[in-house]
Amino acid sequence: MDERTPEKQPENDFKGIYKNVKISVKTLDIVIVGGILLMIALVLFGIANNGYTVSFDSRGGTDVAAQTDLMYGDHVAEPEPPTREGYTFAGWYHDENCQYPFDFDNTIVDASATLYADWEKIQD
Amino acid sequence: MSELKVKKPSKIDQLKAMSPKDRNRAIGDLLMNNAMFIIIAIAIVGIAIAEPSFVSVPSIVNIISLTAAKLPIALGVGGCIILAGTDISAGRQVGLAACIAAGLQLTTNKLFPGLGVMPWYVALLAVCAVGAVIGFVNGFCMAKFKLHPFIVTLSTQLIVYGCILLFLKLGTNSGQTLSGMSQTYQDLIKGTLFRVGNTAVPNYVLYSAIITAIVWVIWNKTTFGKNMYAVGSNEEAANVSGVNVVKTIILVFMMAGVLYAITGFMDASRISSVNATTGLNYEADAIAACVIGGISFVGGIGKVSGAIIGVLLLQIIFTGLTYLSVDQNLLFIVKGVIILVACAIDMRKYLVRK
Repeated sequence: MDERTPEKQPENDFKGIYKNVKISVKTLDIVIVGGILLMIALVLFGIANNGYTVSFDSRGGTDVAAQTDLMYGDHVAEPEPPTREGYTFAGWYHDENCQYPFDFDNTIVDASATLYADWEKIQD
Repeated sequence: MSELKVKKPSKIDQLKAMSPKDRNRAIGDLLMNNAMFIIIAIAIVGIAIAEPSFVSVPSIVNIISLTAAKLPIALGVGGCIILAGTDISAGRQVGLAACIAAGLQLTTNKLFPGLGVMPWYVALLAVCAVGAVIGFVNGFCMAKFKLHPFIVTLSTQLIVYGCILLFLKLGTNSGQTLSGMSQTYQDLIKGTLFRVGNTAVPNYVLYSAIITAIVWVIWNKTTFGKNMYAVGSNEEAANVSGVNVVKTIILVFMMAGVLYAITGFMDASRISSVNATTGLNYEADAIAACVIGGISFVGGIGKVSGAIIGVLLLQIIFTGLTYLSVDQNLLFIVKGVIILVACAIDMRKYLVRK
């Protein structure tokens, strides 16, 4: 303790969660400015690559192309229904359990998402 | 008015009276310590210009509603941070409360077959009791055994998550999402308080305001609140001056538990479907909001108004970025950087003050 000179390491007496943290104001300034620049870069990158992607998991059926570059508030265009041997297509759902059907007319995009196909087995 | 007029030039006079070097440093400190607010203000203006619908009435009501929904959990975490601790079990506790509240309000109950819809106050009391018990365990381990709050709340976080998963497996539910809650409960939380133009302001905004007022009174006007600040800023000094440190810590965590429970109770109805991911990462948002609002990890520093500002600013910025269609995954990285920068500013303020 006595080796420490108060001029050299005045910032060592943090309390609480920062206990034992050794950092100078200068380093903190770099972290703050750097962090803010990083945030700006991330947001600009996000805006440049903006748009959400809605992908379709046809689950055994023919592949359905994902729709990219959808903006906030856009509607998802209903794709051509996929086909699968021995099954009939029964619509797109939000969840894999096919409990919540996706409403193409009334749902606006506010995040990237995956929709799941529901299939009904054709009875012989 | 006159007071304001006298005050403002005095600060500028102070700056003028300084030597150029001191003045530069003072301005630099001011800019650095408020860097987060400045950058958020610029972002808000930018988003408003790019996407004018961001400042429309429905959007503003939406932001205020979401702020209200997240305020109780932030106040709970805020109390723990004032104690120079933290609580990373907050999000899962909200999730458990939401599951229990939903479980007692289902119209066709798969969890407890045969159990009808319980009155809403039974559900509220039940979740508050559960929250208080978890808070007690957190506070007790921290106060009695002097365990680091990260360790204690990390373990309760996992334990609570396990409880959520087991709870959702009860009866014939087999882990599925809970939905279809009673109309009374839905109306109680989501019913219209009043309308601004065509946009309904939901009831939970009022509840959140009441809770915030109660927390403000507890923090500022009661002995318990003053003890909380005393223990947070210097535990030994508080102990010497006759504060029951153990009791204070336990009570703060129990209060936090109850606040998480109320958040969960409101959330179950607000989002209408509850599953094991409800409440995931809520604590990260709450901690970030508190630190942005000036509730310091150093302990003993922070105000209710700080928590409100923090939650509101975070909500504005993330709603805004959604309007700009920024990828949700990217927002997590932005959130992480925000916490880092907010903590750096928090530490900087502390160092400069010394």
